[in-house]
Amino acid sequence: MELDDLKQHWKQTPVPNNINTDIMKLIQHKSYGPVAALKKEFRKQMIVMALLPLFLLITTVDDPTKALTSILFWSYVAFCIVVVAFAYRNYRIADKMQNMNSAVRSNLEQQIMLLEKRLQWKIVGLRLAMLFFILLVEVVPYFQHYRMLDKWHALNPAIRFGAYGALLLLQYFTNQALNKHKFGNHLSYLKELVNEM
Amino acid sequence: MQKQELEKQFETHIRDHQLLLYKVCRIYAYTEADRQDLFQEIVLQLWKAFPKFRGDAKFSTWLYRIAINTAITGLRKSRDFITSYEPAQLPMLASHDSAGSAEEEQVQQLYAAIGQLNQVEKALVMLYLEERSYEEMEDILGINQGNLRVKMNRIKEKLRQLTKPLHYGTR
Repeated sequence: MELDDLKQHWKQTPVPNNINTDIMKLIQHKSYGPVAALKKEFRKQMIVMALLPLFLLITTVDDPTKALTSILFWSYVAFCIVVVAFAYRNYRIADKMQNMNSAVRSNLEQQIMLLEKRLQWKIVGLRLAMLFFILLVEVVPYFQHYRMLDKWHALNPAIRFGAYGALLLLQYFTNQALNKHKFGNHLSYLKELVNEM
Repeated sequence: MQKQELEKQFETHIRDHQLLLYKVCRIYAYTEADRQDLFQEIVLQLWKAFPKFRGDAKFSTWLYRIAINTAITGLRKSRDFITSYEPAQLPMLASHDSAGSAEEEQVQQLYAAIGQLNQVEKALVMLYLEERSYEEMEDILGINQGNLRVKMNRIKEKLRQLTKPLHYGTR
């Protein structure tokens, strides 16, 4: 049987009775596609990062001035703000990915471009966060006294900077593995689709 | 436009094109549950995009674009859904009365062969079966007409090869 012979059969396709045809009810549901999952993740990230400094303040409720005068606390607040801004930017990118009005090929190309852009932003963001943490650990003892940091600074600088280097290297590899695990397969799948076109 | 009016318009359009949507689900999903999930997801994406529909393209062209985009880019609940099925074991049309006849068997073999095509080829086959012009296929898929014709010939040949062993009973 040839494909052309199938046309008549195809035309007679019946709509099954068990499919939910209550359109208005269907649009009340939540989307479960990969982009919707990404958006959900970013929304969660924004809420958690916005609330964390508050929780930190609550834990020091007996002496709030201790937290409010701590450089570490304010650095942490700054860090959270930057993460929220990153998550918001990523949320906007994911939002653009949900626009499926264009032809299939250009939609796929746009999804690939946006996903790669998002991955680049993530890598840059995580590296900056790590550098910020290192800078903080090195600089804070000059302004405020923390027993934990005193011990760290008592170590030979070669060991300290070696540890930072190892951390950055570890981050490089874990990021790659994590990105491949989370988005890599989907990205390869999208690229494969474009190659098939 | 009022939300209620928009909802009403949308509902009418979807009802008019319900069969078209179901056919997309039939090509891309292999169990009833997956088809229902995909149908819901497509309707949801259509609803999100509906306010931006300006009528530049035919409604069916716009609908195909979103439906195919949703079906091929949205890895659904079970992440390995797209590749984990066994097309030959999943008849795509279970509701026909003539099951068992030689012709029906050939139809099922052809559907199973279509199930083995890649996602883009499936879209092409579906639009071909729907008797869409190459011009409209170009609008939907974004592949130029010359390329589409070449692809279509290759697909037909591929399907011949895939169904050939079945005709001779070697599979």
